[in-house]
Amino acid sequence: MTQDLDKILKEIWPRVRRRHLFPELPAPKCAEGEQRVGLNIKGKKISISKEFVLEMSQVLKPQEVVEGLIDHAVSHYLYCPWDFSTHLKLYGEAKKVLKDKEMAKKATDYFMDVVADTHCVSQKDTPLPKIYRHMNRGILDEAIHALYQRIWGVDLGVEGHEGVSRKLSRLPYLDRSLWRESIRRFARVIRSLLEREERSGGLSRPNPMGSHKPQQYSTQEVDRGLQELASSVASPTEFKEIIHDFEDELLEAIHPTEQGMGLGRGRSLNADFLYYMKLAQNYFLYVRKTAMEKSGSLYPHHHVPWEVGKPYQDIDPWTSFGKIMPGITQTWQRVEGEVFGREEGTPNCIVIIDSSGSMIDPTKQLSYAVLGAACACDAYLRNEAYVAVYNFSDAAAGCRKILPYSRNRTEIYRILCHYFGGGTKLLVEDIEALQTDRVPDIFMITDMQITNLEILIEYFNQCRNRVTAVHIGDNRHVQAFRRSMGLRKNVGIYAVKKKEDIPRIVLGRVREYLYAARP
Amino acid sequence: MKNPFLDFRSLPYRKKEIPLERIVRAKQEVLEHIVEGYLRLVEEEAKDLVWLVEHSRVVKAYEAALKSIRDLHYDQDDIEEFCAELDSSHKIPYMISGPAGIYISALVNHSEEDRIVLRLQDYQRVFHFLGYRLPEGKTLVLQGDVGDFIGAGLSGGRLVVEGSTGNWCGAGMMRGEILVSEHAGQKTGEWMRGGEIHVDGMIRSVGKTLFGGRIYRRGRLVSPQPIGEHT
Repeated sequence: MTQDLDKILKEIWPRVRRRHLFPELPAPKCAEGEQRVGLNIKGKKISISKEFVLEMSQVLKPQEVVEGLIDHAVSHYLYCPWDFSTHLKLYGEAKKVLKDKEMAKKATDYFMDVVADTHCVSQKDTPLPKIYRHMNRGILDEAIHALYQRIWGVDLGVEGHEGVSRKLSRLPYLDRSLWRESIRRFARVIRSLLEREERSGGLSRPNPMGSHKPQQYSTQEVDRGLQELASSVASPTEFKEIIHDFEDELLEAIHPTEQGMGLGRGRSLNADFLYYMKLAQNYFLYVRKTAMEKSGSLYPHHHVPWEVGKPYQDIDPWTSFGKIMPGITQTWQRVEGEVFGREEGTPNCIVIIDSSGSMIDPTKQLSYAVLGAACACDAYLRNEAYVAVYNFSDAAAGCRKILPYSRNRTEIYRILCHYFGGGTKLLVEDIEALQTDRVPDIFMITDMQITNLEILIEYFNQCRNRVTAVHIGDNRHVQAFRRSMGLRKNVGIYAVKKKEDIPRIVLGRVREYLYAARP
Repeated sequence: MKNPFLDFRSLPYRKKEIPLERIVRAKQEVLEHIVEGYLRLVEEEAKDLVWLVEHSRVVKAYEAALKSIRDLHYDQDDIEEFCAELDSSHKIPYMISGPAGIYISALVNHSEEDRIVLRLQDYQRVFHFLGYRLPEGKTLVLQGDVGDFIGAGLSGGRLVVEGSTGNWCGAGMMRGEILVSEHAGQKTGEWMRGGEIHVDGMIRSVGKTLFGGRIYRRGRLVSPQPIGEHT
């Protein structure tokens, strides 16, 4: 049978592919599977259950079963959900109504099936309705198939479920812009059936056409989906709730790559910093590069009289009047100097973030401070630089976290997202300890309500670092800081009042460069 | 060089019209009319988006609501969908609970169906005046907690609340019955002239001015107060 099925697949796939205008999908394969579930998709690879086809072959031609199943799977890729982000958004809406993870997952699965299949039936000649006609049905399947009868205008041999199918048939499944609203109503209508399924233990049974899980998408799609979800949700709490519900599947879907996701197998997902990590990836801050190449070579600095026994090669013939004579002959004294070359690069950065009580708790609401700092870290990391983080509240009382220079995103975000919520005092000694020979940039984000602000101003007045100071909101402390820093050429000050202000920040933008006049 | 799009030329593009599109179009049209009627009502009756509960204003709003839905053909699903639109849609720029409830009551009273069930527990907003002037022969089942003035001016219908009601439940009702499965708020049955109110839970307070009718709590008569009993 497997050989036959492989042959059928080889024959059918080009036809289905052509019908769906050549989607970029690998050729489906047949695999051992459950009798009840027709399809399994993992990493965009479609597997067709041999048992399911075998069972259905008693009433339909195997070609029709295979063709219908592939039509269904391809429609998911081409229409609904299309990508992981849409999948998560639909789930989020269903969860708002149903308040239960399993029920919301089930409702999302069914909604996506209805949309994808309806799209397929309305646009292609597909044997899908034939499969639905002969499928084993649970309570919910019956209601959904009654809906199909109504909206596709075909007889699937279902009786009853008049009220539910009538209510469901009013939803504009083919209007993508209304999907979020539609799934809320869809979930409301099927809630009583889901509750019945839950009581009978039917919720854990997979959908006949297969369940939808994050594993069906590629890692990059999952990454992109999380990124889009982070920018579309109203608060970190909403993001956290959705991520928690998919935690196991997401961990399984994500490869343990540190750079891509900052996550690894065997660890739990920290949704708090994952939110900021993904949200920050939607922004792109520009880092002004600086001359990095320093040659410590010696250059002729001043003249000293030549003495017997000293080498001849340093003699300056112009000032020695062409004579080699002690007291008259002059030699060049060479001094080691800092000479900047042409190579530009990004220095490392010390990120200073204020997490005192006057700042927003990043786990409860979107914190512009954490987002801004996350974007800055992202920009430096992208440019191959290292980042040190100094998170402070009342530093003198021990409320501070310091991360030495690192490129480990997980660690960086963990420190950035820490919230103390106490007083606001900064210890410049801590920052001084992070200074290195190769002068790092400083990025500071705060509301400036720092009790020892004058000490910080004094420190910035003396330091050689390029400082990017970002203040959240406006107050008299901000004005004082702006006034004091007004003449400093190495300090750039930005205000962030809304999310949209963040991309305007240019990191390391100083008003004058030593080599500015160089051709 | 071969035109890469040649392969697609032999593929006929065919879009079948499935019944879904017809159903959605028809329902959309009805809903648009219902929404239009509501917006007109708000515009006329709640200028500056302020609406004070006065007997004359309630009567006037109800008459205006009846007028705007007079030639409309709709069913229970349309009413339910309108409630959902009021709750969360961007189609309706302003939702004022009083006129909204009166408008929904007009839709219920004017509908061809005798029994209407509205599932309200999923909504964020609370509707007032539901079941206003519910006529004889009609049953309205409200699932979930409801607002104030529920069943006000009830005219012989049967109003079932599967949840709690706000204040002034059954105010000025004439005939019919109101069944509340949980609690009722203050001034329950105020100005009541006839009919019965049955509350399974607590009643915060019974109205002081009752011209008739009976109020029961957990099957026990609480108004008019039985002779010799004090509450």
